[in-house]
Amino acid sequence: MTVNYGLYVPKQSGIHSLHPLTKLAYLGFCLAVSWVIPGTWTPYLVFLLGIVPLSALGQVLPNILSGAFKAVLPFAISLFVVQGFFWPEGTVLQQIGPFSLKEEGLFFAIRGAGRILMAVSTFLLLSYTTRPDELTLALGQLGVPNSIAYVILSTLQIIPRFQTKATTILDAQRSRGLETEGSLRVRARALLPLVLPLLLSSIVDIEERAIALEVRAFGRQGPKTSLLVLHDTPWQRLLRWLLLLAALGVIVWRIYAALAPRFLS
Amino acid sequence: MKNAQRPTPNATPAGPMPITVEDVSFTYPSGTHALRGVSLRIAPGEAMAIVGENGAGKTTLVKHLNGLLKPSQGRVLVGDWDTREHSVAKTAARVGYVFQNPDDQIVERTVGDEVGFGPKQLGRTEAERAADVAAALALVELSDYAKTHPYDLTTAQRKLVTLASVLAMRTPILIFDEPTMGQDARGLALIGGIVERLKGEGRTVLTITHDIDFCAAHFGRVVVMADGQVLADGAAADVLARAELLATTNVEPPQLVRLAQALRLPRAALTVDGFVETLQGSRGAGGQG
Repeated sequence: MTVNYGLYVPKQSGIHSLHPLTKLAYLGFCLAVSWVIPGTWTPYLVFLLGIVPLSALGQVLPNILSGAFKAVLPFAISLFVVQGFFWPEGTVLQQIGPFSLKEEGLFFAIRGAGRILMAVSTFLLLSYTTRPDELTLALGQLGVPNSIAYVILSTLQIIPRFQTKATTILDAQRSRGLETEGSLRVRARALLPLVLPLLLSSIVDIEERAIALEVRAFGRQGPKTSLLVLHDTPWQRLLRWLLLLAALGVIVWRIYAALAPRFLS
Repeated sequence: MKNAQRPTPNATPAGPMPITVEDVSFTYPSGTHALRGVSLRIAPGEAMAIVGENGAGKTTLVKHLNGLLKPSQGRVLVGDWDTREHSVAKTAARVGYVFQNPDDQIVERTVGDEVGFGPKQLGRTEAERAADVAAALALVELSDYAKTHPYDLTTAQRKLVTLASVLAMRTPILIFDEPTMGQDARGLALIGGIVERLKGEGRTVLTITHDIDFCAAHFGRVVVMADGQVLADGAAADVLARAELLATTNVEPPQLVRLAQALRLPRAALTVDGFVETLQGSRGAGGQG
């Protein structure tokens, strides 16, 4: 029987077999570096050196590139338009009618898009290579309350569930004569009959899931027995600590670098 | 309301037409071979049920009949239309499809508007729509709920609303996906009555069902599917009596057939009257002998 694990892509790779917390620590470290260390191109450099090789090792590089491109593109376009053309002052690179493209705004947009790229790609790398139930268990063992672990689990599973549901709803509406192909106007008209059932059925779904959890003693206090066993090793535990310390070190260094000139001057 | 004044060619209900499935194979993007060389001809006015275990390819097959899925190989003709050459929305004027879960389609604020959604998409005038909605709601016995919000109804009633919303489109071909799921005895009788009425009007009625007794009572032809292929295709009385074949795809023969086989009656019957007749005939023959 095939079990649906949300975005998880089953592969036989070293990245897949790592303890979920090791991956979480590594991705957290990458995110901290890309967000905290200054430089327009820093997020892209971290993406190239930190995310791409691991994605390739995990055999999910095409999935990461395709998923990240689709998710980041709309944000990148709006950032370039808003920041590039509406930056208050700066060096004008190009004048287009009443609008002027400014260098400072452009670089701000590039950095912003890079940060979003890092946020999306780390999320995807974790989701593609980690089974949600293993991640939930790992977080539970770390002391994270079950309810919060479940929220994380649901977040990881909601995207493919929404995609499947949206396809079924679209099929049902097309079968009743709703035209969904053609001009932008035709597609826009088709949006409401798609979105409304999607939202309503999701609300019904959430209620049913909540009841299903409650009747299976989800709200019971005290320790719980898990049939799942996570594979962990001493070197992974050491690596997690090192990554955590490194991430904290980067953040502390950045705060110091930002505040020191004020106190030293 | 431009559509209301200017009906599209779809607005006129199409006449009876056959469905031809020619050597259709279909593979999902995941690599699953869901259909393997399926060929069928469904005559206008035929009532056909497709049975088989989960994953046999039943839903994949019927999704080809209104163009929701296009064959990887082979072709499907609805009348003279090749489904690959027409959008699903256009084919909807010929093939009505009632989905399994009512919550996958409900979009309007009242039952009446929901039932009128399909006819509106087909470009019917307001007067035509009102007549279609009234007739369809009367058929499913929900006329009193025309102004009710669909979500204020029970799931079984919402299922009837989705049935009415497709009936209102007056298509010559109708596909029901698990129509009896979640229905009580009254709902079962109501849906059975609708199928009989549609048959009487000469419309083609197709269903996917796990409810073998419903299938035996209302469908003259049964197709058994397994592993993306047609395992058996023929008259319901013949196909549903083949217990060994049905067992290979986890389908149990109807109760009356099993009873007839347990009593070693000479032939199986699909209705209570037919069963009684066979039993009396058998006793008579036994008495004479």
